[in-house]
Amino acid sequence: MNRFILPAAAFLGATLVGYLGGQVLIPRVIMAIATKGIAARTGINTMAHGKLATPENQPIVRPSPDLAYSTCAFDLSQGPVRINVVPVAGRYSSLSIFDARTDVAFVRNDIQAGGKPYSITLARDGQSVPAGSETVRLKYDRGIALIRLLLANPAEIGALDGVRQQSGCAVVK
Amino acid sequence: MKTWLRVSLATIAGLALGAGAAWTMAGKGFGRADIVNGPWTTSLSFGTSETDASTRASVARRGLLALPSTETIYWQASVDSDGNPLDGNCTYAMTGTALDARWWSITFYDKAGYLVANPANIWSFSGAAITDAEKAAWRVTLGPNRPATGHWLPSKKGKGFDLTLRLYNPGAAFRAAPATSALPVIKRETCA
Repeated sequence: MNRFILPAAAFLGATLVGYLGGQVLIPRVIMAIATKGIAARTGINTMAHGKLATPENQPIVRPSPDLAYSTCAFDLSQGPVRINVVPVAGRYSSLSIFDARTDVAFVRNDIQAGGKPYSITLARDGQSVPAGSETVRLKYDRGIALIRLLLANPAEIGALDGVRQQSGCAVVK
Repeated sequence: MKTWLRVSLATIAGLALGAGAAWTMAGKGFGRADIVNGPWTTSLSFGTSETDASTRASVARRGLLALPSTETIYWQASVDSDGNPLDGNCTYAMTGTALDARWWSITFYDKAGYLVANPANIWSFSGAAITDAEKAAWRVTLGPNRPATGHWLPSKKGKGFDLTLRLYNPGAAFRAAPATSALPVIKRETCA
């Protein structure tokens, strides 16, 4: 009897574990791949100001063709990371911080920022940060900071690029 | 074959089957997109730590780096307003009123979630395209051929597709009642 019952029970149990475990691992694996991909192109803890999404340029699934994306793949194992954001006047923009599980740890748009430049510091628990800095504590070392900037049409990117290039990302020294 | 070997093989096969099923299911939809409004579906838990594992896996596969609903609500449509799958061989009338958000757009994606090349280089239709006169009633033609007049969102002949409606900074009234708020209607007109 054990010849069949034990393997069948193991199969069913392992299928359930594989399914539930897969759901947990999928976001982490995809996020790790995305983070490594960005870091491979532009380096870690550096803000990259990407080209507009087109059928020929789609670094992630379901990109918006109406937004200019700036990305920073960060790694807090090298120390806290500061993100500087310079909004474009009168335009929707937002900074969002995604952790290694794809959850949003922080989001702020241009209206919430009062249309003014601002900085936040990303840090793990226990890492010391400069006094007075607005700090977002994260559960994981790695993740992605993403700035979205709305364009009324793709041709605007030339005029707005100078402003978005002022946003940056670097390890706190 | 010894029992331990059978158990080991069954365990490996079960793990592979379970993980494969999780991957497949994550690619089919957006997890527990539990809010339905006509052909559109969404969830208010995308991108948050409160979301369930199934939804998180689906969003990672099909909409990585999605914002939480406090910032943006993402609606998906893979069927028209009569429930038929969106078909690149058909032409649709997409109609609506100005949506309750700071900014909104509707983007055409293939079934894998990527932009599709077209000669007009048009991949989305946004609220910025409608005039004041159209705010009470706008229309965009969704199909493979450019209409004689009016707005156009190109599709790809012979291919199924999905639409994503993004509402950035949705209004308080919309967030309070997303299932009953006004969203675009997608009506099939002709098919090749």
